Amino acid sequence: MSVRLSIGDSIRQALSSVHTVVFPTTERERERRRIAIMTIPFFVLAIFAGFVPLATMLRMSLSEEQLFNEGWSVDAWETLATDRTYWWIGFNTLWFAAAATLVSVAIGVVVAHALEKYSLPFERVIVAAVSFPIALPGIVVAFMIVVLLGRQGLLTQTVAFFSGRSAIDLATATTIGGLFLGYVYSLIPRATMILRGTYAEVNTDAEEAARSLGASPFETFRHVTFPEIRPGIVAGAILVFRSALAIFGTVLILQGGFVVVTLRIDRELAVGFNSQIAAAIGVVYVAFLIAFTFIGLRFVRAEQVAI
Amino acid sequence: MSTVTLESITKRYGSETAVDGLDLTIRDGEILGIVGPSGCGKTTTLRTIAGFETPTKGDVRFDDQVVTHVPPEQRNVGLVFQSYALFDTMSVRENVAFGLKMRDVPVDQRRARADELLEMLDIADLADRLPATLSGGQQQRVGLARALAIEPHVLLLDEPMTGLDATLKARLRIEIADLLADLGVTALYVTHDQTEAMAMCDRIAVLNDGRLEQVGTPSAVYERPENAFVADFIGTSNVLEGTVRDGRLDLGVVELSGSFDASGPVQVVVRPESLDLGGPLEATVEQATYLGDRTELIVALPDERTVTLRADGNVEYSRGDSVSISIDPASVCVLP
Amino acid sequence: MTTPRTSPSRDDSTTGDETQEVESPTDDVDTETALGREPAFQVADRQPLSTLLGRPVVVGVLLLALSVLVVPIVTTFVSSFARTATGALPTGFVTLEHWRYVLGFGEYGVRANAIPGLTFSVGIATAGMLLNVLIGVPVAYALSRYEFYARDWVNTLAILPLVPGVILGIAFLRTYPERGGSALGLVVGYCLLKSPYMVLTVQSSFQSMDLRHLEESARSLGASWPRALLTVIFPHAKQGILAGCIITWTLAAAEFNFTYMVHTGDPKPFSLFLFRNISNAPYLQSAAAISIYFLIVVVAILVLQTIGNSGFTTVRE
Repeated sequence: MSVRLSIGDSIRQALSSVHTVVFPTTERERERRRIAIMTIPFFVLAIFAGFVPLATMLRMSLSEEQLFNEGWSVDAWETLATDRTYWWIGFNTLWFAAAATLVSVAIGVVVAHALEKYSLPFERVIVAAVSFPIALPGIVVAFMIVVLLGRQGLLTQTVAFFSGRSAIDLATATTIGGLFLGYVYSLIPRATMILRGTYAEVNTDAEEAARSLGASPFETFRHVTFPEIRPGIVAGAILVFRSALAIFGTVLILQGGFVVVTLRIDRELAVGFNSQIAAAIGVVYVAFLIAFTFIGLRFVRAEQVAI
Repeated sequence: MSTVTLESITKRYGSETAVDGLDLTIRDGEILGIVGPSGCGKTTTLRTIAGFETPTKGDVRFDDQVVTHVPPEQRNVGLVFQSYALFDTMSVRENVAFGLKMRDVPVDQRRARADELLEMLDIADLADRLPATLSGGQQQRVGLARALAIEPHVLLLDEPMTGLDATLKARLRIEIADLLADLGVTALYVTHDQTEAMAMCDRIAVLNDGRLEQVGTPSAVYERPENAFVADFIGTSNVLEGTVRDGRLDLGVVELSGSFDASGPVQVVVRPESLDLGGPLEATVEQATYLGDRTELIVALPDERTVTLRADGNVEYSRGDSVSISIDPASVCVLP
Repeated sequence: MTTPRTSPSRDDSTTGDETQEVESPTDDVDTETALGREPAFQVADRQPLSTLLGRPVVVGVLLLALSVLVVPIVTTFVSSFARTATGALPTGFVTLEHWRYVLGFGEYGVRANAIPGLTFSVGIATAGMLLNVLIGVPVAYALSRYEFYARDWVNTLAILPLVPGVILGIAFLRTYPERGGSALGLVVGYCLLKSPYMVLTVQSSFQSMDLRHLEESARSLGASWPRALLTVIFPHAKQGILAGCIITWTLAAAEFNFTYMVHTGDPKPFSLFLFRNISNAPYLQSAAAISIYFLIVVVAILVLQTIGNSGFTTVRE
């Protein structure tokens, strides 16, 4: 009886809050209605283009039928849990993305430092050039790597010219090294742009104070600048790592004998249409991404997010 | 223009009370200043009158009309912010005419009205400029013209001069006070700067912690503060403990004769200007601050209480100097 | 190589001069004799190694990174006008053969030119962009202007891409088997995938404004809330909105991962045309195909820079 009463109460409460949102009388209620109006379109998009498909994908991983969701089966999950191949793919994806993130953020710090702290000639052009690859889809990035490291690649041909060895032997675009450069190629611009934002907020007075107290530029960087940009570096690393995990087109073209999660999903579908396994990998990926973001955001302020 | 009445307004945010049972009337045509330390509820009060906050309890009336639940856009109030909040995408004239446009006033009429106001505020030559190209003082004039253009029931000014430099501030406040008086505008002037409030307002309300401490003319609030907070907040003051016996005030170190109509232990307010150098009371200089036209002295009385007084700027004082002072009994104010 | 001492840099030139004063021997003598005593702490006479190397190394890394990023782009563009590319550098300039081919004017052009795909993608990207204005601008406004329950979570959802394109692709196809790969499916998918760019760009525009007071001024002057938004707030943010449009549009025009997963049938979107070229076509022809997109990006960046973005990024100057 008491339970029913409290349910009735909460329904009444919910109805009354809906009522105040629809027919507000105070300014705060009017504000709530405005917030609702402004966010509803986004929620509709997120639900129908995001959450519903993700739920369907979860169902897909548990489907008995291959071509549509029907019947229940945990076979795909069993395969995923027992087949070591998948564990290795997961591990490969993570370390590869982490290593690429590390290198990209390190270079990003240096590039951002140069852009923000030195007055370089043609700064606008340089910034534009550094940001250019953000616009490139993964397949084009792959082509850029071929241009550098492929058989006709600039670096390959240069090394071949000086060493006298065959360019075919020297081409590294489609090896793991080429793939790594591909990752770094797409990640450096993102890291740099995020870190430029961080650098812009550094207190230059403190840096000048340190210099006037006799600190060398490097000491100033180590003791004053670096502690200030550290949160930005962490934020940048988290965001760049997320981007690294999502890379697909570059791997699809370069292959490099190296399989990451996104490529495996494609392979599962292309070879034998193992839709349940593809979906199961997708679910694990999304779950990991959400957990990672959830944990990572504890170290990140919203205003540090940029792309 | 209208009389604005706040009837026991209380505003709570969760468990925090920003304004606590405030009763206040802004009379038709007067400039009422609200002063108080930050967080005292003065901005909440202003926003309640504007309609951006609905009070938790109490009512807002414009003349006889209760407007507590009327949304801001239907209240017809003028707002001037510290940040000016001018519309950078529109010219100065368009800014001023904006309110009239919202009221569907025909183009030529609102243009004429805007030009008239710009003329009145001495910025007619800036009409076609964009606000971002103006100086702070000019922007504030535009903000004022924009708020006045709609002939508001009440003009609300929220720290309008805080961003300006001292000279400009001094000039602008006289101009604005004159203009508002000429137009007979009912205005509420929120500021943390009590000098500004004294200079501009017909009456001053002192707020502390969401409560009204005192409201009255600048001279009443200054000369007859009702409590130690008001005495302390408005101007510099020395609040001393003493005892009144038979109309005489005993401050421990000195006894003042006069007609003090309290009895027993009291707090009294002695303004620095009621203290004069030369007199029966011996004191030692603790701190001397040279201010050009005068020197502000903090001196210790024989019982180690300190008081602030002002001395001529051309005599040099330093710490430890002995001075003698006198207190003018007529200007000592006993707190109720 | 430049050294900090002589270079006209922002941080080094001013403080560098001060160091010079302290370090120069004549100056030392002057101050010492004037004061008649030894300075308590002596600033080191010679510059530490890190000072000598720091700036050249930093600039060196910048130049290296810049060349790795830019050289292949320029090479690709230049190659697209070359006749042959057998050695290290393409030779035989200038020919428009490859451009004619990818643009559909060549002999084989009818079969695989970029125009139908580009037209299709431009249409889809434009629709996705418009949808993003309708969805992203309001949510960016709500997030910048108001405090509300779970605001941080809504913010996270709005500014961090929810899922990568590949995974959204398979989920989409299964959820909407009929429509997932259609033009509508692409529009909606692009809109979701690219919405963070719109939200972030518009938000950074809003953050530079005194949003609350602008809105309150407009409303106190008699503008209803929707009217205040349309006549005051959004016009103030128009550069941010425009920047968001350009970024989301450009990214959607060549979106590959999601498109590759969901799209079947004709016309093929531009990114699939690029994919076919990159994986199958001769080198110089791929170069021409990709260069079409480069031109789009260059125009996008030029416009972005004139309206206050620093480059192809949501970060505004």
